[in-house]
Amino acid sequence: MLEVKDLVTSFGSVVALDGISFTAHESKITTVIGANGAGKSTLLRTISGLEHPSTGSITWRGKSVIGMRPEDIVRAGIAHVPEGHAVISELSVEENMSMGSLFRRRKFKSDVAAAQDEMYELFPRLKERRKQLAGTLSGGERQMLAISRALVSRPQLLLLDEPSLGLAPLVVEQIIDSINILCRSTGLTVLLVEQNANTALGVADHGVLLALGKVVADRPAAELKADANLRAAYLGY
Amino acid sequence: METFLAALFSGTSRGAIYALVALGLVIVWRGAGIVNFAQMGQAMFSTYIASTMITNGYSYWLGFIVAILVGAAMGALLDILVMRPLSNKKKTELLSSDSMRAAVPVIASLGILGVLQALAGIIWAAEERGFPAPYPQEGFTVANNVMPFTSFDVFVISIVLATLLATTLFFKKTGVGLAMRATALNAEVARLSGIRTNFTRSLSWGFSGAASSLAGLLITPTSNLSPNTLDLVLIIGFTAAVVGGLDSPAGSVIGGFLVGMVISFVSFYDTPEDVFLSILSVLLLVLIIRPRGIFGAKDARRV
Repeated sequence: MLEVKDLVTSFGSVVALDGISFTAHESKITTVIGANGAGKSTLLRTISGLEHPSTGSITWRGKSVIGMRPEDIVRAGIAHVPEGHAVISELSVEENMSMGSLFRRRKFKSDVAAAQDEMYELFPRLKERRKQLAGTLSGGERQMLAISRALVSRPQLLLLDEPSLGLAPLVVEQIIDSINILCRSTGLTVLLVEQNANTALGVADHGVLLALGKVVADRPAAELKADANLRAAYLGY
Repeated sequence: METFLAALFSGTSRGAIYALVALGLVIVWRGAGIVNFAQMGQAMFSTYIASTMITNGYSYWLGFIVAILVGAAMGALLDILVMRPLSNKKKTELLSSDSMRAAVPVIASLGILGVLQALAGIIWAAEERGFPAPYPQEGFTVANNVMPFTSFDVFVISIVLATLLATTLFFKKTGVGLAMRATALNAEVARLSGIRTNFTRSLSWGFSGAASSLAGLLITPTSNLSPNTLDLVLIIGFTAAVVGGLDSPAGSVIGGFLVGMVISFVSFYDTPEDVFLSILSVLLLVLIIRPRGIFGAKDARRV
């Protein structure tokens, strides 16, 4: 279980997260939705250790991750796929993917290859392009690669930042479906940040609505999806 | 024809050394975004250590190996003791602007160069001394003609080529090499992949220190050793790196050989006094015509 309590993160005088509290349950998809600038990405970046909160707590399975370095948070089982199809264009698909499991080579040698094979099975297009530079991939393929890179670290919690950004609806559907299948079949816990609220709420169990750094709603996804007032007020559709 | 061959051979051997210097600069530039002006100061210092060992009766090869290890350790320590603390000071007023953040480590490296040169002057006296070559520096004799190519040149070229090959394989084939490349290309994605970027960055500094110490050991037999002798080598190596493209290791190696040729042909066909002038002209020309170098990344990457 991921527990976030009274989390405050600021950039200079700008308060991006203004006392956020919520819980993401194990083996469920929790989505964080909200308009641009609501603090969604900052929330994920704070959980993965890229930003440092001024106050508040983040605990994963009872252990605090505050003050840990991003590379150690990954090793503790929390993988973050940041916004914008974060792959390294100058490296090949294969290299990008194996990057995520470099730290597991010694202890889990036999599993490293297995984890990569699973990803190639989940996203067969990546297998065809194994030797290509990541920079030559389409946006959707890059997103698949970024997700694979995170998953080969065998996380228990996956932080996914706007996987739909700039992608065609069909590709978005494919990626979201894959995440859904993965969560249901392996028990992976997912924290999905989306601007595309409809898609996100369609697949999630639980929804957290952010506005200007504050939680304005924290409910089962279906309920949130049905609430026309909230939608009109905060999501504008 | 003979002059041409002589210039070609000498250019290859010199170029190999400048390629090493340029590679050292490029690896730190890619890994840390810093042009390390202290690099040849570190090389000078470790070459002095080898020189002291050799004059005290230890074998050339022991001095050679110790100098390279000291070079690697100095590079890593420079990162751990100076550069890392500096980059952690992001929030202080001194480093509040981007331009200051970029400039301060470079100025620090200049400061370290000064300290190393002064220290060497204090320890070993600031006068020139010779440094031995492990193989004869007389040209081969073919049909009673003394060729402009020596056993030492063969040694220099082969050890540099072996180093370049080993480096390429290391970066391409090993996990640590991949981690170092990832850190250099995108530190945030590297960290999110579980790579300990502080460690890999220090490794890059250590690698660069070892490469430049090797360059120092190879170049001092044909010049001399003093606290300042390698200043010119740094400028030439920097030119080579810029010609090849500061962020391209392969380009820096090719740039090194190109610059070696320019130097060699200028000193054979013109006069050695014009070498410095010609190097600075090449640097200026490249900066005006193609600032990112021959093999530099397209601007599109610098989003």
